[in-house]
Amino acid sequence: MANKNVSVWTSIPFWRRSAAWVTGFATILLIWLTFDTLGQITMGTDADLKNGVDKRVPAATVINYKIDYKMSTKRGHEVPVIGGKQLFFGKEWSAKEAADLLHLGKLTSQAKNCMNCHTLLGNGAYYAPDLTKAWLDPAWQNGGPLQGMTGKNTVEEAMAEFLQHPSQYPTHARMMPNLGITADEAKGLVAFLKHMSSIDTNGFPRNFSKTVDQFKSGGTNAH
Amino acid sequence: MLTSIKTNEFAGNKGKELGMMYFRVAVILFGAQLLMGLIAAIQFLAPGFLFELFDFSVARMVHINALVVWMLYAMIGSVYFMLSDETGHEGVAIGLGKLAFWVLTLAVTVVVLVYIFIQVGPGKESTIWLINEGREYIEAPRWADIGIVVVVLIFYWNVFATYMKGQKTGIMTVMIADLLALAGLYLAGMFFTDNISMDQFWWWWVIHLWVEATWEVFVGTLAAYALIKIIGAKREIVEMWLWIEVLMLFGSGILGLGHHYFWIGTPEYWWEIGALFSALEPVPLVAMFVHVLYDWGKEQGIAKAEGKSGSVMNNGPAMAWIVTNAFGNFLGAGIWGFFHTLPQVNIYTHGSQFTAAHGHLAFFGAYATILIGMFYMGVQYAYGVKVLRSTFKSKMGIFLVTFGVVGMTVALTIAGYEQVLVERAELGGGWSAFFAAQELPWFVQAMVWRAIMGVVTFVGFVYLVWDLLTIGKQAKAAQEA
Amino acid sequence: MFGLIEPFTDVNHSFFGMLNQGPLTLTIFLHTIIILPMFWIYFSEKKRLNK
Repeated sequence: MANKNVSVWTSIPFWRRSAAWVTGFATILLIWLTFDTLGQITMGTDADLKNGVDKRVPAATVINYKIDYKMSTKRGHEVPVIGGKQLFFGKEWSAKEAADLLHLGKLTSQAKNCMNCHTLLGNGAYYAPDLTKAWLDPAWQNGGPLQGMTGKNTVEEAMAEFLQHPSQYPTHARMMPNLGITADEAKGLVAFLKHMSSIDTNGFPRNFSKTVDQFKSGGTNAH
Repeated sequence: MLTSIKTNEFAGNKGKELGMMYFRVAVILFGAQLLMGLIAAIQFLAPGFLFELFDFSVARMVHINALVVWMLYAMIGSVYFMLSDETGHEGVAIGLGKLAFWVLTLAVTVVVLVYIFIQVGPGKESTIWLINEGREYIEAPRWADIGIVVVVLIFYWNVFATYMKGQKTGIMTVMIADLLALAGLYLAGMFFTDNISMDQFWWWWVIHLWVEATWEVFVGTLAAYALIKIIGAKREIVEMWLWIEVLMLFGSGILGLGHHYFWIGTPEYWWEIGALFSALEPVPLVAMFVHVLYDWGKEQGIAKAEGKSGSVMNNGPAMAWIVTNAFGNFLGAGIWGFFHTLPQVNIYTHGSQFTAAHGHLAFFGAYATILIGMFYMGVQYAYGVKVLRSTFKSKMGIFLVTFGVVGMTVALTIAGYEQVLVERAELGGGWSAFFAAQELPWFVQAMVWRAIMGVVTFVGFVYLVWDLLTIGKQAKAAQEA
Repeated sequence: MFGLIEPFTDVNHSFFGMLNQGPLTLTIFLHTIIILPMFWIYFSEKKRLNK
């Protein structure tokens, strides 16, 4: 015990062992968390939808349902609400058809490089609007300016028309370019967008599109 | 730097020669990155510019891909460059390494040409195999992914076998482990899924665990090496700091990944994990900053006490860039990251120009700076210069590039702030909310300033390249005179 | 009590979700199990250095 005052804090082996431990163990924790999360974000099934089982990421057949985004007092933020049946492009899609359509849509979203102008789930580029809840955007609903511009009667048809001929329907000086999207690809993309709007994003974006009209008319929330 | 291709100053050190080959391509890609950034900045102000010819999505894709690839080139180059100093061997299979270099460079050229001239494809598997994968930062088509994996395996085997053969310093041990993780993580980005939440979950494994974990440790390793080479810092001290940095960087950075899992469909428990681990991410960056400046002051003090006059630095411009790295890493990655890392803030800032502001200062401050420092070390070695001093061009380069990037960051931060308040908080982030916020004067003015500062950065880059091409020859001539 | 201990509200039940119900309990748990073994590393290193 001659060397009682020796300091561990300047010992390289101490820091090396600590670094190895912390790195290794943090990695193990991350892998554990990853397994837990993967189980929760795996896509649900058609049966889940029929039985009203809540999934963070529902099955592709969610395109056959009405989707809303509402404040949940239990969760403390907005959550997607899957309602009653709703035709999509005038029909109800079987599990196989819906999955194929979603596959085409997701593939097209990558092939057309959507993410380098738009954000998806908030990730991507910031040149064009976020698409996380685009399906629910008031502008695309009946009576909204974007649906009106295309002369179509449903959200899906309006979106599909816009996607095929974006520069014919300028919504802003900053226009979407024509990317050669075919009619089928456009349907797929709309299915992809509708599916994305049904994902539980823990309340992002908050307060979605509530007060645009008030703001545009120069008004305030005061009466 | 250019003439060093022909001259034979390397005295047969093939590893350093290969490192310089990577550095040269890195500088060219750096230039391409800036040009693409300028096009994209102009498109924010004049949306008709190159519309349907070379759209924002294309300019932006090449902008960020050139960024990632030039940094990877400079990183591979740096490893080959330091290999012989750290292991005592110049590399077991440098010939094969050179072949891999040419294969990689050819592949990068083809990928960029396809990005520029073909741009997008039909919604089929063939598009993501041949044209582009459409996933931000890792757009490279699948064939190129596989090629990159092969090239990286050759690189890694080269470095690993050399390490096993030679002496095993602490710096090289960290480097070997870090490179393995860095290369392995790329595999997490090489698959397709219809589930966008699953897609983004693994995508962040690549992006976050690169730039907020393995790349940061890589920078710590480079800084340790450079401090020994430039100011003669003591290896024991530098390596102890390095292990502390590894501990803190990986301790906070690995689970800090959680701050990307707030809103992509993942469970709510990530709020707490992401918030608190990523809030600690700036701590090691402070440590790195203190470490660089402390060691510099200490070595200078020792030299003075020994009655030596003048600076302890043998490479002025490299040291200047490394000190800028110490500042920039803390400011860009640390402070600008912390700004919006808490979920209570991030629910409004996520997907706004705030992220772009952080991205610009962090990539520059944490990575570009130290890699440019390595370019200067390469030049010094290639010309056999004992003491490389900053020239007027070196100073203009570092000043204008840094000033320009900081200016862009401030402008984008203001734009982001406006977006957060108007588009998100007030209007709730829909289609019309987005454009309403984009039209407000504060946003537009910020974008004008961003473009101006982009030009300043580019002018600085021209000075930098001019300096890299001439400084070595001049210094050598002065040394011989 | 002041909303610090919350009922379980997330979509799926899980171990981490349960830890998340208390005030910072999840993050304190993770930090603790990472840091705690460092004490052992410290003292074993001290013992080694003293020899």
